Amino acid sequence: MKSQKKQSVSGIFILVTFMVFILLFTYSSLNLKNIDYGYKMQKLIQHQKTLMEEIDKLRANKAKLLNLDRIEKVVMNQLGYRYPKPEQFIKIFEVSK
Amino acid sequence: MKMNRNERNRTFVIFMFFVGWILIIVFTLIKTQVFNYNRYLTRIKAQSHRILSLNPKRGTIYDCNGEVLAISVKTKSVFISNKIQQESAKLFARIQKVISISRDKKKFIENRIKRGDGFIWIKRKLRDSEYAGLKRVKAKSARGSIIGFVDEYKRIYPQQETAAHILGGVGIDEQGLAGIEYAFDDLIKGKGGQVEVLVDARRKIFNYQYLNHPVSGRDIHLTIDSTAQFFIEKELKNLVRHFRAKGGSVIVMDSHEGSVIAMASYPTYKPERLSHTPSRFLKNYSISFLCDPGSTFKIVLASSALENRICYTEQIFDCYNGSYQIFNRQILDVHAFNKLSFEDIIIKSSNIGAVRVGLRLGKEKYFQTISDFGFGHKTGIGLPAEESGILNPLGKWTRTSIASLSFGYEISVTPIQMLRAFNVIATGGYLVQPRLLKQIGSQVLSQSKKQQVLSQSTSQKMLSIMTKVVELGTGKQSKIEGMTIAGKTGTARKIKRGKYEKIYVSSFGGFFPAQDPVVTMYVIIDEPKGKYYGGDVAAPLFKLIAERLMIYLEIFPELDGRNEIRI
Repeated sequence: MKSQKKQSVSGIFILVTFMVFILLFTYSSLNLKNIDYGYKMQKLIQHQKTLMEEIDKLRANKAKLLNLDRIEKVVMNQLGYRYPKPEQFIKIFEVSK
Repeated sequence: MKMNRNERNRTFVIFMFFVGWILIIVFTLIKTQVFNYNRYLTRIKAQSHRILSLNPKRGTIYDCNGEVLAISVKTKSVFISNKIQQESAKLFARIQKVISISRDKKKFIENRIKRGDGFIWIKRKLRDSEYAGLKRVKAKSARGSIIGFVDEYKRIYPQQETAAHILGGVGIDEQGLAGIEYAFDDLIKGKGGQVEVLVDARRKIFNYQYLNHPVSGRDIHLTIDSTAQFFIEKELKNLVRHFRAKGGSVIVMDSHEGSVIAMASYPTYKPERLSHTPSRFLKNYSISFLCDPGSTFKIVLASSALENRICYTEQIFDCYNGSYQIFNRQILDVHAFNKLSFEDIIIKSSNIGAVRVGLRLGKEKYFQTISDFGFGHKTGIGLPAEESGILNPLGKWTRTSIASLSFGYEISVTPIQMLRAFNVIATGGYLVQPRLLKQIGSQVLSQSKKQQVLSQSTSQKMLSIMTKVVELGTGKQSKIEGMTIAGKTGTARKIKRGKYEKIYVSSFGGFFPAQDPVVTMYVIIDEPKGKYYGGDVAAPLFKLIAERLMIYLEIFPELDGRNEIRI
């Protein structure tokens, strides 16, 4: 009878210990995962920032390429275009039948 | 199984040992976590917590079509931690080979290294190639850790000189110094933030928390059309150089909305080099140049006379054959006229005729109209350094003031004020506030304020007179075949050392198509050499720009069907 009682106490003790262990294990593994996610998130944030900066740089480069002075020089000097006079423009009207 | 005494003792000792061990752990934990809590918290924070400042990105400035006029991009700035002077000097010698740096700056840095300053900026806002070169130097050098980089924003103006006076520019720390950049600095610059991060032993961030969220600067959309601005600046530059003038300005405005399409000033500068530009280049002629307007101001006199029904357009005035005395002052005309109708006084720009109209009008009524046209007050365009002009209060007018003001003297005006005055007639009598801002962030701004200052009938009469100025009068050189233009020329002497000298300001203001105006424009050239009459200097530039604007804005001329195809 006495040994049976002792056995059940030991069982409870083992169960509690096991549960405490599980709890601690879950807590620490979640904590580690959290830290891991922190690293991943930071990496993604950094990547996003780099991309945004790259976009800004590309926009600035595009705007520089669209510099009108540059375009005018290319069009007039390399392609030989000239500005038209107002009378060289022709208005086209669609006359309904 | 029953334990004997020895076994029980051993078990007790082991048990006690474990109890003692646990107690020591518990005690240490309590000591660490409770009694020394603050000490260790401070230590751990010092090791793993960092508070980082987040610089806000300055807003982008666009033109009315969404073309970028100013944008901020991230760049690197380089510094050295001058712990060992000899090493720093050696490294600086290598750095110089990969970045462009002025001789003065080089000397300055070398002196600072010798002096033993701890933190020394080498160059701020590096070019990409310079940064790549410096990274190589840092990697190859045994003492590479001396070199450090800081992220900074750099303001770029892709159109370079285009709209320089409107945009202004920023300083080395991205603070607005002139133009829109200065006027709307609070909106454009945004607000910095702070973030608390947790770093590991390798200083890699694994957790962060915002203390203050950074607020990016707001984007600004201007009413300026960069294409029109570009070719207008170019034509202005050519003309100023041709006449060896001191400078000039051209302002083009949407007649009804008051949106400024272009505002060119010459001489100009590159906004990226603002801090290295002499101040005379920074002056925005359009809003800061004060001068007597001369004959262009006769449109205000004529409007006042017609509005107050002092005379009618066909009324004849004696012009005294080109010379007229008023008190101790002699008024002269360029061409002598005996008699001229009211209309011809404006068309032929007779000063004597204008004085005769002014005397009949009286100073009170004239002063009222001048004030109604907004002279003596800033237009409120929103740019810094705008002048309000000088309009003497009625009490300070002398006996000859009415005569002087009749042909545009004894008053100082800015080109933008004159543009607004011309626009009153273009809009059928409304004083429209010129504006440069179209949109701030996503907020589209409402249209300009309007105030009626002239009746529709007076405006119509003035429009007819101003059309004849271009067709038959002093403004003939602004005439474009197939397009009705209304305008007025002006030539005014400048004051130097308190005296009117033989140096001139030539101007021409007008709008087109006259019957349904789309564009109002004002041209002013400061001190042209050789020719100086407004009709010879400013009017041809008006024509040149108007022709190009007609093409660009698709305001086609009527050429009796010669340029029309009907299908």
